[in-house]
Amino acid sequence: MAARGHVQDPNDRRLRPIYDYLDNGNNKMAIQQADKLLKKHKDLHCAKVLKAIGLQRTGKQDEAFTLAQEVAVLEPTDDNSLQALTILYREMHRPELVTKLYEAAVRKVPTSEEYHSHLFMAYARVGEYKKMQQAGMALYKIVPKNPYYFWSVMSLVMQSISAQDEKLSQTMFLPLAERMVEKMVKEEKIEAEAEVQLYFMILERLGKYVEALEVVQGPLGEKLTSELQSRENKCMMMYRRLERWAECNALSCKLLLKNPDDWQFYLLYFDSLFHLIDQSWTPPQEGAHSAEGEVHASTAQALSFMEDRIATEEAKESKHLRGPYLARLELIRRLRERSCPEAQQLGEPLELMFQFFVKFGDKPCCITDLKIFLDLLTPDQHVQFINRLMEAVPLCAPGEDGVALPGDTRALQRHLCVTQLSRSLGQQHALNTEGKLGLIKELKAHYQHGLQFGKSCLKTELQFSDMYCLMAAHVYVDLWLETGESNMLWQCLGLLEEGLSNSSSNAQFKLLLLLLYCRLGAFEPVVDLYSSLDAKHVQHDTIGYLLTRYAESLGQFAAASQSCNFSLRFFHSNQKDTSEYIIQAYKYGAFEKIPEFIGFRNRLNHSLHFAQVRTERMLLDLFLEADISSPLEESVKSMSLCPEEDDIPWDSLRDNRDLTVLVSWDPKDRQLNEEHRQRSLEEDTLWLRLRSLTLRLIGCVSALSHPPASRNSEKTTENGVAAKPSSLQSLLSQLENTLNQATQFSEKQLQVRTVTDRLALSSGCCQCQLSSLQLPLHLQELEATGLGSLLHTSLYMLEKCKGDLLEVKDSHSMTQHFLLENLVYFVETVCIVLWVSNYCGSVLRPLKSSLQKKKKKKKEARNVDQSFSSLQSLLNQALEHIKSQELSLTALELGALSLEAEATFTKTAMDKVQSSYLRSLQEIGELLKKRADTLKSLKI
Amino acid sequence: VFSSHSNLDPLTETYGIPFYLQYLAHWPEYFIVAEAPGGELMGYIMGKAEGSVAREEWHGHVTALSVAPEFRRLGLAAKLMEMLEEISERKGGFFVDLFVRVSNQVAVNMYKQLGYSVYRTVIEYYSANNGEPDEDAYDMRKALSRDTEKKSIIPLPHPVRPEDIE
Repeated sequence: MAARGHVQDPNDRRLRPIYDYLDNGNNKMAIQQADKLLKKHKDLHCAKVLKAIGLQRTGKQDEAFTLAQEVAVLEPTDDNSLQALTILYREMHRPELVTKLYEAAVRKVPTSEEYHSHLFMAYARVGEYKKMQQAGMALYKIVPKNPYYFWSVMSLVMQSISAQDEKLSQTMFLPLAERMVEKMVKEEKIEAEAEVQLYFMILERLGKYVEALEVVQGPLGEKLTSELQSRENKCMMMYRRLERWAECNALSCKLLLKNPDDWQFYLLYFDSLFHLIDQSWTPPQEGAHSAEGEVHASTAQALSFMEDRIATEEAKESKHLRGPYLARLELIRRLRERSCPEAQQLGEPLELMFQFFVKFGDKPCCITDLKIFLDLLTPDQHVQFINRLMEAVPLCAPGEDGVALPGDTRALQRHLCVTQLSRSLGQQHALNTEGKLGLIKELKAHYQHGLQFGKSCLKTELQFSDMYCLMAAHVYVDLWLETGESNMLWQCLGLLEEGLSNSSSNAQFKLLLLLLYCRLGAFEPVVDLYSSLDAKHVQHDTIGYLLTRYAESLGQFAAASQSCNFSLRFFHSNQKDTSEYIIQAYKYGAFEKIPEFIGFRNRLNHSLHFAQVRTERMLLDLFLEADISSPLEESVKSMSLCPEEDDIPWDSLRDNRDLTVLVSWDPKDRQLNEEHRQRSLEEDTLWLRLRSLTLRLIGCVSALSHPPASRNSEKTTENGVAAKPSSLQSLLSQLENTLNQATQFSEKQLQVRTVTDRLALSSGCCQCQLSSLQLPLHLQELEATGLGSLLHTSLYMLEKCKGDLLEVKDSHSMTQHFLLENLVYFVETVCIVLWVSNYCGSVLRPLKSSLQKKKKKKKEARNVDQSFSSLQSLLNQALEHIKSQELSLTALELGALSLEAEATFTKTAMDKVQSSYLRSLQEIGELLKKRADTLKSLKI
Repeated sequence: VFSSHSNLDPLTETYGIPFYLQYLAHWPEYFIVAEAPGGELMGYIMGKAEGSVAREEWHGHVTALSVAPEFRRLGLAAKLMEMLEEISERKGGFFVDLFVRVSNQVAVNMYKQLGYSVYRTVIEYYSANNGEPDEDAYDMRKALSRDTEKKSIIPLPHPVRPEDIE
């Protein structure tokens, strides 16, 4: 872990065993060994630091810090101490202390290249760009190596990127950086590719595109060799910025001749072509068309260029590229957009797409490729198109059930592609219920039949016919949404469970199952499904929402904690990791990557999902623990929750959710669009605001009853109420406003269900939570009657939870899963009511004895006592309801349903839902019971 | 570079972010991503250059090669490998190498078709999730133009242990 190069140093020999213990995770022995050593050698500072590392790693942060500071104030200059302290501070998440350390070291040993370089990296870790610039130059003065000079230049670029003031960035930082590089250019001191890249980056950011182009095309550009087509790509970028369409066109032409499968250059070729046509560009009288050679500036030239590409492709025996064929369709689209009659010369899209299908129909990507060109067909061509393709699918003669099946996997893939296209064209949606049921039957037949091709598939491989199964499930969902028949949903779940049993790695099966179970309010099966998806790293951010949205609100508290933790762990480690690689990027001169890495870090730090799990995790901890295992104020303190502080970056929240992770072949008008995403983001942000305000208000309530020690007791009012309701008041009015906004929002949304819609808004529990949090404010005027009306509302909420979660009617099982979510929010509300009541009690209790004379107050106290006993009876009622639900659920024999023989998987799904409901009820019941127990101590 | 496309394919390792960052910081040119016309991520390759020039061991290494299931059987892996070889050529490498599970016959055959041969077997190179040794690897190599006599790919007679490789 530290430098052990100087074997001759006796201290190294002495320290060695401690290092070894630490490396092996034996922290206790490391501490002991360090103590032993320190007895003999008091001045062996490094031993102290190593001991501190051991302490830090055994959870004794405070001790570790004190010990480390003993060494740090001595401003050590030995390698061992410095490196050990660096490691310790990093583990403490205090990178800013490392800068102090090396600032001192550099002061004492001003000529040390090593310490200066460590200082630079320490600044880089905390993003002190200005100091980095100076440290880089200081280094260069000691040792005139180019990289140091350019570290300093890059630090200027970073100052410009991070500057709030765009003008400062454009007139000061970047020009200075430019001059610094120019100086080196003039002195012919440019050595490395990285230096040229940095120069280019600066010029580009300055908008000096002509100069940037000159650099790339000049002798310095010859250094740009590592990346493939580095010079070409950079030139292209500049041509576009400069709107030099002739060069842009000629260069894309050249690159397409080299690689006719590079899609981006087709797009550039078409873009530039039409710009040139619009400008009526003509070639110069003499000489070359452009600096990049021949230019195409007419539709005719483009048509013949495309025909040539196709002809070249056709001439090949095998391994045809998709690019030219797709580009032809793209050109048709663009010509049509401009109403150019020449579009027809390229052929009829239906025919061209048919030909594409003949060539590539047996590749799984065929659907992805053709899907984006379906809008080239007119609606009356759709049936003809599908029929035409179907003719090119080799199927065996229909069997008894009338379904013609493919004979091998290639035929299967072709058939599947046509089926997918047909769905994308809306043909499946247009079917009536009977038609859809027929379609499902057919898809199932294809699915079952196709399984034979995948008998030898490994567990990690998908079955060839999986997509049929998935599509049949989609049709079931269509039917369920149209008819509202829960039977369709059960069939769908059964089919997906069956699919999963045959193809255990199919992520799409898992995702759809996961979503549908959540929709049914059954979270228990979701835990396993999600963990088998093996989501890693960044996926916790992009698809974690699937899990965390539902976990708590469906009453599976333990699982909810766990799912928040998965995500949180990822976000926290990202913080630390990214800084290390920013440093590496400096070391290796990957300057272009530095802003990217920082952008990536911000993207994760500002993630909506991160803010959500952070907030939900804290709320959950409070609901589950506060005043049960430890008092509320301790819980609040331990999560360092500060009601005055808002730690959510509302203005820069990033929506990183991958809302398209589930495959969909729906036609365009049914697909998720930007508006849906926007609405869902708005809803989730509102919800986050509600939750975060609720959380901070709970923090307020806790602070009210236990004001910070420094508060002057004189300042409390005669009622014993701590006087600082200002933040409470402001948070309350914010909560009220947000709640109004949310109500308006959900009224607007009534017609369209969004991705994540929140039941809590409609059940009125948010309103109730608000009223309970308002109580402490009323208590200032000794108006505790609010508690009575609050109880009234709670009772009403409980009524909304009543009903059967799962019942069997006419041999169909039906769910009323929304009752579960209502119940969870009811319990949450109870928690809040109890905390507030606890506070009310603590205020009123002293009054009862001492202020007997004041009649009003005495009466108030009696009222509160009455309210407490009504609260008790409310909780009893809720507990009884839960108990009876548990009993009836357990008694429910789903096996009694006359399910068909093949429906064993449907039965599996039903059992999972039943078991999940039961577990949710148990967890909710247990929490409520614990809460009821805390009420007993609440007598005045 | 960081794709938001979710990579849930069981055959495709999703490495930790530090792993990707490390490669991007050190060998950015060796990170190549292929995108489909519709914007879907088709595949990527990730590699590095390492080894001693003096000992003629300077070479390109394929760390990860991955093609999304629906874009397989299009020759995309071959194209990405070709690009990595081209980059290694420019860096003056003597050969390109890669490690592959001995059981992954599909991959071994593909690499053979692309001109790679087994240079040596590395015993228990892969470990299972619990840290237990899991499987041997083939170290496969393809000589680049600098290795005119193709010395770098002469197979070793005996298997080696992971700690013996550099």
